[in-house]
Order: sequence, then C-alpha cells, then structure tokens
Amino acid sequence: MIRRGKGVGCMWYPIGFTVAANPSAATVKVNEDGTATLLTGTVETGQGSLTVLAQIAAEELGVSTDDIHVVSADTDTTPMDTGAIASRTTYVTGNAIKLAAENAKKILFEVAAPLLDVQPNQLEAVDRKIQVQYFPQRCLPIADVALQAQFVMGRPPIGSASYNPPTVGMDPETGQGKPFSTYVYATQCAEVEVDDETGEVDVIYMSAAHDCGTAINPMLVEGQIEGGISMGIGFALQEEMLFDDKGRQLNPNLTNYIMPTSLDMPEIDVDIVENFDPTGPFGAKGVGEPTAVPTAAAICNAIFDAVGVRITSLPATAEKVLRAIKEKNNSEQKFIPAAE
Amino acid sequence: MADDVKVAEKTEKLESLRKIDDNLRLPSVPERIAFPKEIGVSAARMQTPAVGQRATRPDGRMHGLGQTKYIDDMFFPGMIHAKIKRAGIAHAKIKSIDVSEAEKMPGVMATLIGSEIPVNSFGPSLQDQPLLADDVVRHAGDGVAAVAAVTEQQALDALDKIKIEYEELPNVFDPVEAMKENAYKIHNNESNIYATKTIMKGDIEKGFADSDFIFERTFTTQMVEHVPMEPHASIGQWDANGRVTLHSSLGRITLGRADIARTLELPINRVRVIATVVGGNFGGKNEITTEPIIALLSKKTGRPVKCVFTREDEFISSTTRHPFVMEYKTGMSKEGKIMARKVRLICDGGAYCSWSETTLGKACILSAGPYNIENLHVDAYAVYTTKTMTGAMRGFGAPQVCFAYESHMDDMAAELGIEPLEIRLQNAFNEGSASPTGQVLEAVVVRDSLEMATERFGWKEWQR
Repeated sequence: MIRRGKGVGCMWYPIGFTVAANPSAATVKVNEDGTATLLTGTVETGQGSLTVLAQIAAEELGVSTDDIHVVSADTDTTPMDTGAIASRTTYVTGNAIKLAAENAKKILFEVAAPLLDVQPNQLEAVDRKIQVQYFPQRCLPIADVALQAQFVMGRPPIGSASYNPPTVGMDPETGQGKPFSTYVYATQCAEVEVDDETGEVDVIYMSAAHDCGTAINPMLVEGQIEGGISMGIGFALQEEMLFDDKGRQLNPNLTNYIMPTSLDMPEIDVDIVENFDPTGPFGAKGVGEPTAVPTAAAICNAIFDAVGVRITSLPATAEKVLRAIKEKNNSEQKFIPAAE
Repeated sequence: MADDVKVAEKTEKLESLRKIDDNLRLPSVPERIAFPKEIGVSAARMQTPAVGQRATRPDGRMHGLGQTKYIDDMFFPGMIHAKIKRAGIAHAKIKSIDVSEAEKMPGVMATLIGSEIPVNSFGPSLQDQPLLADDVVRHAGDGVAAVAAVTEQQALDALDKIKIEYEELPNVFDPVEAMKENAYKIHNNESNIYATKTIMKGDIEKGFADSDFIFERTFTTQMVEHVPMEPHASIGQWDANGRVTLHSSLGRITLGRADIARTLELPINRVRVIATVVGGNFGGKNEITTEPIIALLSKKTGRPVKCVFTREDEFISSTTRHPFVMEYKTGMSKEGKIMARKVRLICDGGAYCSWSETTLGKACILSAGPYNIENLHVDAYAVYTTKTMTGAMRGFGAPQVCFAYESHMDDMAAELGIEPLEIRLQNAFNEGSASPTGQVLEAVVVRDSLEMATERFGWKEWQR
C-alpha cells in the first residue's frame, strides 16, 4: 500500500571559512565608454557566480549587468581570491568587488564634480549617469565622465580592493568565539510516498524557503536551491559508495552508483526569505551549500510520518525502509497463544 | 542491382575503416557550429539597477552552443597524455616500484614515481597526503606511479607493465574501531584521531537534571561522491624559462598555486594556474590532485601533458563526503523546550586529512541546530581509516548533522505529542540569540523560513 507523509527540515549555515582568514581581492576597470571590466580570482564552477559578481559591480557603478565583462581565474592576471568554497563567493568576493567598484567610482566622481559644479561627495551613479544627489537633471553620462577621466584628466578610473570577514578565534576548550561573520537559515518540506510492501520511497513534492540576504539574482538562487535539493535527494535515498572487505570500491561508476536524474526530481516550489545583511554586498549573504543541507532531514521525517519508522542510517534505501517496516510490524504483532 | 550491392558493401567497409582512422586521429579542428551572429541580450541584463535582476548568464549561450572549452576540449601542439596507476590495495608498504618495462612500451615518453617529486606531500591543514605514494599506500585509490604517452590508450597499456611489490598492512575501515588505542596507527601517529573539536556552553549536568525527558539516538551517514559533470582535469606546460602553466579544473586557484609551487619547490611567480571554466565543483575540486605530477611529466618530456580523470578515478581517488557517526542525547521539558544537548560526532576522515578539520569544525558548531540551547556539550573527532579520503563537499558536515538533529527533533516531538512545526518554532533562534559558540546572531530568519516553507507546502491543511 502506498502511504503518504510530510516532513520538515530546518537548518542554519555559516558563510565563509571557520575562523581562518579568507580574503578576496578584486579590480574594477571602467572603460572609456562607461562599460567596465572586472578582474576576480574566483572560479566559475557552474553556479553562475560571475553573473552575480558582475551585478554587484554594475550596481555600484550604476550601470547594467551587461556593461560588465568579467575576467576570472587566472593567477597571472587576476587578484588573490580564496576560491569558490564555503559559500563565500557572493559574500566575500562580492564585498571585495563592491569596494573595488567604489574606488573606481571615486575617481569618476572626482572628475565629474568640477564639471557639475559640486563636491564629489554630492554625486551618485545611477542609470549609467553620474548625477547630483536629489538633482537628477544635473547629470553627465558615465561614458563622458570615463572618457574625460582617461583622456583629459589622465586618471583612468581603476579601483582595487580586498575584503576579509571579521572573525574571533574559538577558545580551544570551550569553543566559544565568533567563528563566522554571518549565517543563513532555511527550511525545506517534503511530501513522500512510501510503498510499505517494497520500502520504495518516492519524493513527490518539496517546498523550500531559503534566506540568502538580498537575492542579487533570484533566478540563480532558485537554480542553486533546485540543484541542492537534487543532491540532497541522492544523499537521502540513493547514493552510497560501497567497499569490499579489502577496502576497494564496489561501485565506482554511474551504473552502480545511483544518482537522482531529472526523472527522480519532485515538483519544487522555491521561496526566498526576505532579509538584508548589513555586512554583505547590498545585503547579500550566500546560498550555495545550504540548499543541500536540510533535504535529507525533511525526506526522512516524511518517511517517519508516512510509515512510522525512523531511518537512522543514510541512505534510506528501499531495503532499509522495508526492513524497518517489517521490524516495526513484528514488534507490534500480538502473540496469541494457541488454544489449549 | 548487383552493382548497388557492391557499392553498399564497399561503403560499409570504407566506413568501418574510417572509424578506426577516426579513433587514431588526434583531435584537430573542431566542427563548425552555426550560431546566431546577431546576439539578443535579455532585458534583465540591460536594466539598472542591476541587483535583483534575473540576469541571464553569458556562459549559458556558450554552453548551449557547445562553444565552452573545458579542459578535455583543449589541445596544444605536441600534447601527450598522462595516466595514473592506482594501488588497488587499501593499506600496504611499498617495497619496490619498477617502471622499466613500462618505459619500453610504444608511445611512452616518461614515467614518474613519488620519490621524484621534490616535496611529495600536500593538504590544506595537515600536509599528510602524498601526490604519488612512495612509501605507504593508505587507500586503494592512492596513485603510485604516472605514465605520459602519445595517446591515452598507450599510457593505459603502459600502466599494466609497472611492477610494484607490496607488503600488506592491517586495514582499519571502521572509524569507531580506528579510535581505539590498540588500533593500527595509519600515519604512525600516537592515535588515529587527528582532529578534535569541543564546544561547551552552560551547565550540561544541570540541564539534564532539569529535564523532564531525555532522548538518545545514534545516527550514521554514508560516503558519497560529488560527481561533477566534468571530472578532474589539467594540462601542464613547462616552458623553457622553467615556468609552468597549468590549465586546471581547480576551484581555488590562488591557494592551489601556492600548493603546487610548494610541491615543485618553485617560486610562486613561476606557476600560473588558469581555471576559466569548471564543470561543477561541489567541494571536490578545492585542492590540487595531479597538477604537480603533470607539471613534472611536462618538464621531463618538454611537451604539454594532459590528464583527465576517468569516472572511476574520480570515485576512487578524489575526495568524498565524510561518513559520520552522531550520538545525540537531548533533555526536554514536558512543554517541548530543549533543556540540554550532548553530541558526540565521529567523522570518518579516510586516509588523509584533506578538509576534515574544517568539516569537523563546521559540523561541531552546527550540530545543535538552529535552536536555542542553553546547555550544550559537543565533542567531535576526525579519524583516519584506510578508505578513500574524505574532504570538502557542499555543506562541510552540515547535511550529516542536520539529518541527525532534525530526525531527533521529530522523534522527540512524536514522543511528547507536539506538532513538528510547533516544536521547531518553540525552540528556534530569535533575533539576538546566542549561537553555540556564544556569538550573538543578527538578521535571524529561522522562523520566517519555517513559516514560509510550511505555508507554501500547505502544512496545516495537508491530508494524508
């Protein structure tokens, strides 16, 4: 019989390394036409980080995402970066880029100020223009200012900066300290169908609400969450590296190591929890790793709700679930003595 | 009619010959792919302000049109291919390695063994891992020798000719067994425990004494692989100035470059690492793997050397997710408030430390869950075993402990007759809550996320 159940999993997760310094540096070069080139040492590993970083630089310079070209991941040309690890790219590298763009913008402001008859600190960069705050009519196209800066004033608008999240070392005996600068929070709910005759578990629906501070690019956040859930489903139900008694792997291939495919994916609804972290670039934190964290918990709790068995050892394969169901049924079976 | 048959036969024969030819031919000019010359840009990419826009990715078009060049797509003139011999034995002393037969194989241009590497050790926190095992093999996927040959197949054939004499050592597969004092010491240390973390907050004894109910449960998790679409890959080119350029699928190039320079005993400015596009990382590409080996093979041969892991290499020799044994003991009030929690985490570190220390630290801090617990005691241990090494993977220990603390939470909720959502809302962090390490938390939205996810799910209305 197919039994349905619901389960919830809730989590918190830190952004960046544990205690150790994890700096990032960046350089933003504004070109003569108001577009810009961003140099970063981080690596695009498929998550879309370079697009997010371009958006951060664009926002600071008041231009569009498409106006930023990103050069990344070459140790000869790009500045130091701790790397695409620990969900730190948006938060740490993003902060470095925001500061670098701010430095480039400062040069633009200093060049534009005399042309607009104001002080540099009265200016803002909006909609590809350098304009006087509260007087949007008094403005210059960013392209004109960049051209002026480079060819008339001889000050190419280039900014570099670095960022390292502030942390406080942990006491070795009690673990007390401030190991991370900031944390994110998330909840995922799962609806499963468990066949109590075969033990097979089918995840049919999941909802996820993730906090990532400001969502710099909501589409990429949703992509991360859906990808994380697929990884979480594999962790919960299928994937396991098996060893023989000599310590050699039995299933080092994708025929016998079963990963979830698109056909195994449930319906997913994604919500982004509104939040703003004052220490992040435009309030952003990160979202990469947390998306894979609460999925297995939510699924196992849904199995518990459906058939009343607690899976204490992952993955919750059909064999394990069926064995647990049988054990439960056996223990619940009442022994009726034969009539004497 | 008869002629037609002949032609068909001929074509078939020619086709079969062409296939053989194709297999032998080195990659040349890739096929021309037609792509739109006029590029439409999505409105979201053009808009200001940029933050909050659903901007499309510029690399998406390249991936879609097959124009992205992953390392396996790259080719340099004169490039040769490297393959690595795996031990195939979990724990053994290497008595001798003989590569002379392999060097005589057709197409073989160079071989490399561990003792030829200037500094044959690396690792992000403990440098306990050899690039090629030269003394002791500590897991079956350990590399023991490398071969560079004109084609991949020639390199593979030569691997079979490498003769290695092993002296088997006792295996230690279970992390709990490995912790015991009499267990075989895999790294000749005093103990197989190579990292410990502790968190102590409040008064755990008093917390349990004040509890109405005490729940205990042990949870375990398995070892899993990252399985990125692109396996580990790199191309090394040692130039005439003694400078090495590595195209690599590395996720952290700056620190990777320092590791490579250290193992090769080169000044850092003589190493260039390029990782322009990486086909999935998930933590598995956070550290160097074969880069120094192929750099040295390139030095020996004067040729660019490429090494791309097979899926099997990826499974047996790259890092994986730590299996955990998690013992939870929680004291609850009858109203459902967590009074005290004691956690003991044992993390199966595999053969080498890799990122275990970081993983252990994160798991330790996060193991209490996003809940207010005044009295907490967490002890965590990372232990060597003679299995595939474990390292960084999306979540750094968090998916394991989350599975445990959330399963435990529902167990307790069921026993106390409290709704799972209610018990979480009752205990969840508030704005300004103190974390297990005593850090005051800001911008806390656990409750919001709980309410949002369950509302979207239709938690309250949901019916079986």
